Amino acid sequence: TVQDETGAGMPGVYVVVKNTSLGTTTDADGNFSMNVNSNDAVLVFSFIGYATQEVAVNGRTRVDVTLAASVQSLDEVVVVGYGTQKKSDITGSLASVSSESLREVPVANVQNALQGRAAGVEVQRVGSTPGSSAQIRIRGERSVSGSNDPLIVLDGIPYQGNLNDINTDDIASIEVLKDASATAIYGSRGANGVILVTTKRGKKGENILSFNSYYGISTVSKKYPVYDAKGYENLRDRSVYLGGYKPEELESIQLGRSTDWQDLMYENSYITDHNLSISGGGDRSTYSVGGGYFKEKGVLPAQDFSRLSLRLTEDLQLNDRVKFGFNSMNSYSIRNGSSISPMFPILSLSPLMPAYEADGTIVKAPAGNDDDRANTYSPLYLKSNDHDWVDRIRRIRTFNSLYGEAEIIPGLTYRLNIGLDYSQEENSQFRGMDTYFTPNAGNYASVDNTEEWSYTLENILMYEKTFAEKHHVKFTGLYSVQESQKHNTFVRKDSITSDFVEYYNLGTSVETANRRLDGKEAKWGIVSYMGRINYSFEDKYLLTLTGRIDGSSRLSEKWHRYPAVSGGWNIIKEDFMQNVRPVSNLKLRVGWGNTSNQAVDPYSLIGGVTNTWRNGANNVPIVYNFGTKLQNGYYVSRIASQKLVWEFTATTNIGIDFGLFEDRITGSIDWYNARTHNIIYNRTLPATSGVNSDYATNIGKMQNRGMEISISSINIETPGGFQWSTDLNIFWNRNKLLFLDDGFVRNIENGLHIGEPLTAIYDFDKQGIWQTGEEAQAQSFGQVPGQLKIRDISGPDGVPDGKITPEYDRTIIGSGQAKWQGGITNRFSYKGFDLSFVTYARFGGTLISAIHQPLAGYLTINDGRRNQLKVDYWTPENPTNDFPAPLATITPPQATSAWTTLGYYDASFVRIRSINFGYKIPTAVAERIRARSIRVYTTVINPVVLYSPYMKAGGVDPEATGTGKTGFVQNGGNIPDRALTVALSSPPTRSFTLGLNITF
Amino acid sequence: NEILEENPYTTFTKDYFKTSGGFRSAVVTGYAGMRFNYGPIGALDLNVFGTDEWTNGDQAISSPLNVYNVSTSEGDLLTPWNNNFWHINTLNLIINLKPEELVDVREADRVVWVAEARYLRAQYYYLLVTQFGAVPLDLGSGELQFNDLPTSAFNRLPVDDLLVKNYQAMIDDLTFAVENLPAKRPERAFNLSKSAALHLLAKVYLYRGYSAASQSTDFQNAYNTAIQLINGKDTYGAALLENFADVFREGNDYNAEILYAVERLPKNNTANEMLDPSTDFANKANMTNNMFNSNYQGPIFVFDPSTTPPSTQAYIDGRPLEYGRPLRRFAPTQWLFETAFADKKNDSRFDNSFRMVWYARSVSATPPATYVDRLQVIGLNIGDTAFYLTKTDREADSLKALTGAQKKNYRVFGPSEFYTNANRTNLIYPSLTKFQSIQRANFQDASGRPLPVSRFAETYLLAAEAAMLLGQSGEAADLINVLKRRAAYRPGLTPEEVESRYAAIEVTADDIDIDFILDERTRELAGEHSRWPDLAARGKLLDRVPTRNPDAANIQPHHVLRPIPQSQLDRISDPDKAKYQNPVY
Repeated sequence: TVQDETGAGMPGVYVVVKNTSLGTTTDADGNFSMNVNSNDAVLVFSFIGYATQEVAVNGRTRVDVTLAASVQSLDEVVVVGYGTQKKSDITGSLASVSSESLREVPVANVQNALQGRAAGVEVQRVGSTPGSSAQIRIRGERSVSGSNDPLIVLDGIPYQGNLNDINTDDIASIEVLKDASATAIYGSRGANGVILVTTKRGKKGENILSFNSYYGISTVSKKYPVYDAKGYENLRDRSVYLGGYKPEELESIQLGRSTDWQDLMYENSYITDHNLSISGGGDRSTYSVGGGYFKEKGVLPAQDFSRLSLRLTEDLQLNDRVKFGFNSMNSYSIRNGSSISPMFPILSLSPLMPAYEADGTIVKAPAGNDDDRANTYSPLYLKSNDHDWVDRIRRIRTFNSLYGEAEIIPGLTYRLNIGLDYSQEENSQFRGMDTYFTPNAGNYASVDNTEEWSYTLENILMYEKTFAEKHHVKFTGLYSVQESQKHNTFVRKDSITSDFVEYYNLGTSVETANRRLDGKEAKWGIVSYMGRINYSFEDKYLLTLTGRIDGSSRLSEKWHRYPAVSGGWNIIKEDFMQNVRPVSNLKLRVGWGNTSNQAVDPYSLIGGVTNTWRNGANNVPIVYNFGTKLQNGYYVSRIASQKLVWEFTATTNIGIDFGLFEDRITGSIDWYNARTHNIIYNRTLPATSGVNSDYATNIGKMQNRGMEISISSINIETPGGFQWSTDLNIFWNRNKLLFLDDGFVRNIENGLHIGEPLTAIYDFDKQGIWQTGEEAQAQSFGQVPGQLKIRDISGPDGVPDGKITPEYDRTIIGSGQAKWQGGITNRFSYKGFDLSFVTYARFGGTLISAIHQPLAGYLTINDGRRNQLKVDYWTPENPTNDFPAPLATITPPQATSAWTTLGYYDASFVRIRSINFGYKIPTAVAERIRARSIRVYTTVINPVVLYSPYMKAGGVDPEATGTGKTGFVQNGGNIPDRALTVALSSPPTRSFTLGLNITF
Repeated sequence: NEILEENPYTTFTKDYFKTSGGFRSAVVTGYAGMRFNYGPIGALDLNVFGTDEWTNGDQAISSPLNVYNVSTSEGDLLTPWNNNFWHINTLNLIINLKPEELVDVREADRVVWVAEARYLRAQYYYLLVTQFGAVPLDLGSGELQFNDLPTSAFNRLPVDDLLVKNYQAMIDDLTFAVENLPAKRPERAFNLSKSAALHLLAKVYLYRGYSAASQSTDFQNAYNTAIQLINGKDTYGAALLENFADVFREGNDYNAEILYAVERLPKNNTANEMLDPSTDFANKANMTNNMFNSNYQGPIFVFDPSTTPPSTQAYIDGRPLEYGRPLRRFAPTQWLFETAFADKKNDSRFDNSFRMVWYARSVSATPPATYVDRLQVIGLNIGDTAFYLTKTDREADSLKALTGAQKKNYRVFGPSEFYTNANRTNLIYPSLTKFQSIQRANFQDASGRPLPVSRFAETYLLAAEAAMLLGQSGEAADLINVLKRRAAYRPGLTPEEVESRYAAIEVTADDIDIDFILDERTRELAGEHSRWPDLAARGKLLDRVPTRNPDAANIQPHHVLRPIPQSQLDRISDPDKAKYQNPVY
């Protein structure tokens, strides 16, 4: 009989006689029987999620086995770069996330699944529409203008681009490699950490069919606080807006009517996911096939994301020496409405304007001022779409890997990995004539096609041998090549003959002057040689040496070397530890290594001559007409970066792994210090240099230091089957710019300040609002009570000069860096019930709330022209220090840049990300429908934010909505592109889902 | 290793400029870049606001440049600052390419292209120097050389020496352009020609004469250059039109009086480099058609007491193309209306520059019934006069006093009504029509008309001013009277009537002084976006602005130069940034 740890019989356990093809599975009660032809036979028991056990029969006729869940098993094998390793042998710093914990939070993509799950891994969302991605930072940021995204390796093949293409249900486990000794093996791409994603593969045994499904309903968890009719009228009457009330508004005032545009526009939305997979296999071949469908619809009309995915994995043991396998992952996704954001009209339309006419039709242009009235149609039109618009991004991706592995002589293995990746994306846009998007204007359409392919070729040689029973040596050698090319074609055309054509045929309409054509191409390659030696002595003393040489097409100094060395000491295996009872595991790890970051786009070294100029986010071709004759213009847009060398990071890591009380408490503590040299950075040159684009150059040094603590414990375990366990991770990172080699102490324009983190905020310091009684003081700054009071920090003589100037009165007023952050997951189980809470917290740091920056969002401008966010504005009767008096702010000197200081808040928060409650239906019941197991569960996503000073002050969610100026209505202030900001976006939601897992 | 080589398909290198197509494309970029300086809101603000002619309309109350609350972070400053240098740099590159380095470029083409490039470079510098004072000639690789070094330096010191070099560089460039450009521009295009170069050269000489870098020959050179163009006008294809109204008439954009205009094509977003002409106010948009309009649409209501609650309706339904979008940014000062244009009868230029009457119009093909009905309540039909600004209060009073059958159903506003409270609450005022643009796809759109940069009438003003400065006031009066004579002309008048009107406005040597010249420039050039540098270069800002534009009364002596933008100072590595800044800022 086979039992699990609670003593229950385990059905479906695969039992095989070692080194034979004889096998069977256990029945519903965990019983099995089989004939063995030898008394010395060894039985191998295996089951997904449990440690495989080998038991010698020794002539017995009855064999009872208890299988232990494999989670946190020390002998657990984990995936590392180019191979696997026993956990106890690992000398670097890594974190694992199992598929079970991934499943606790139903999410669209890998990034969101990682949030709050691993120490040192910071995941922040960068969008709030369905299908938005999130930003992953492992141990802070190292690169100023290069990418800080970690390398994703999917089943051994470096994976680029959109993580939405991966179905989270296909993931078996995720390993995060954090320190250089673990990532040096990825050399030039390891500096930002490496995330190894392993997908599910088949296991020997009976065919298992599983079906996982959930459906959830999402609602807006917090509306933006805007004024109602009365509040808006108060503000408008105080402002000096001269436009006057519209007739409809006067009517509303008389009738006491108020329109809540948010209530009218927000819809209930849903998230759903269905996955079916079959896996299994015999002795020589295993397989896993699966398909999934995911869909998330937003709370605003017209926004959704859906994905269909198909996966096929096959592993084949051709003979004793040769193995072969492939994995194909295919996805097809559609993202609608990602560039549509009606949030500004929703929040800024006058609550005094009615939304519907008396006969129920939509009021076409419900703005309360003439300018918006001419530009803005009712967002209610978005609720129906009859060839009015298309905003669709359709992606097809096929990611394939193939391997062959042969044992040449015992211990020596050669492996060939081939990866083939192809994706195609079409971004189709259409805006119908005189619709919500085109008030009083004609239609237009565009099609933006991007094709991207890459291949990876890896030759790996592995040798493993134990000498004199004590010296275990493993060698891994690699030669790899990767090439990737991306090509894009864009066409745009207006005056389409009829709206029903949409974007499908841009040729049917009359030729107009406003068509646009564009194309882009980029190709890069990387060639690598790598060698690694793992040595262990009696499993006590461990040493890993890694060397890698990478060549990149992007840099002038093509080649760079990445050495790394690390050691481990399994203290627990020392004799002197045998009597230290409470300690069940203790290991010390020390490592040092070099990694880097390619950081620049292809072709950064050459060229620099273009025919487009930047208009905001768009490149506009230079065309000039001489009379009716058009000519194209080219110019020198960028200084070619003649000498660009690798940006590299040297990391030292010291860590301890421990286990207490027979591993009821396990954990690890890591300290690291990473120094980045030759930071590649796109410097914005002064306009007088004659070059209007940034210049990529190596510039200085940066430091990231930090600490990571993760602890897992089984807090309570009763014989009755009740268990409470906790996973906790806490970490902090201190980022600091050490040096800039072009003489800057502060490069204000680029937001670089020596001695400060990259996310430092340099701005005016708000002291409050000038109050009644301070007239004389205010007057000396050219201001009056009700206006913004800014600290006079200094002047030309080094002392306050009684003037507010950007030169002397800006200072570092905060940074986006958290003091510490972490996550805690509590799991309770009793009999078939399980309950878990995932909590996620961030403390410290400054949040940039662009919606509270009057010029960035136009939502706190207090000018009365439009409705806006409720703010505590100053009036003589309300002597607040929060926001200035309506419109009074427009006159002080430095008004435009000083206003950004109104948008900084404490970024701390504690939120429960999800509560998951499940019930495993008793096996006996499940059996009736021939199922092995059935689990039903319900999850609440984002149930509550427990603490957030920002939300208390009027924000709707303390997490960023984007980076840089994404989502800004106007350009407000000097915000670097890398800064995380809260700009105008869809409101936060809370979802309730109901899910089902069945296996047959 | 082949994999590590880059072989891009879409990236050009500097070698492209050595080919015929590439060389020309750099010149085209130089032309196109002038759009940043002629049309967008930032460029208009810098040249129109804070002058004796213009103050802010209600949509731009307290605009920093108008009320002289100018900070180093003022965004408008960046329009020339961030755009002109990169154009100058590419022009430096082709100007310095040696003939033997070129591939397939005919020498005759090269010389003309270099002449165009040097004209454009001079004009980019002119636009910077008149606003900021001295600006770098050395962008990082030597004076007037192409820079491709990543410099964080700001080569502006010593400022006084640099100003001397700035003027000399402009004069050298324009002298070369005068010698090498074609004599005439094409009839229906604004390729640069000798006429444009002579005009700008005369102006630069004149301005240098007024500046700290002045040389004793400057006014004489200014006079000679302007007179060369005036006397050789047939050679250079320049002429004054008979009727002032025709100079800015839409559709007549390529007339012989315009020496050089920054071109655009109606409704052609590609040619105009516009992504969305209805929302882009900055960059390369020509906003002149919308910025000078008063609020004809908004707050003036027809009141209908017969409904419950009483309903109101604007006189004009929507924003007709000819009236433009009412962006209410620039409003004429009371001085411009009452003093500069004191005589609005004999001098036709007021009527030909400003709109005083608006008609009831609907933008809809089928006007909404509510609009038509409510108009009829007050006795108006579509097409009738909706409101009318009178030239005098007396005229307004007498119109308002009419009763019975003679009663006017339209609204009448006298000057005392549209000049109350220093324009702060005024929503309706005479609106400049010079840049009116009907040929637009949408009523919100920016203009697709070419925008004149230099016009032959101004050449007379420059010549007259130089003559006056040389002590030849009689000659100056003669030159001014050419414009006066044209100003007296209106179609339909008999020659005798024109003659008598001319006699009323004709000037003599005694009338001529610098203030008269500036007044005359207003009458001729009102709104042609160069008033601020015109006053600044002549040292007349402090004298004329506070008395004529009450909103701008805060002007201080240091305001005669604009501040170096904060972002420039933030980007340079020298921590002692103050020494690069203009005084007091």
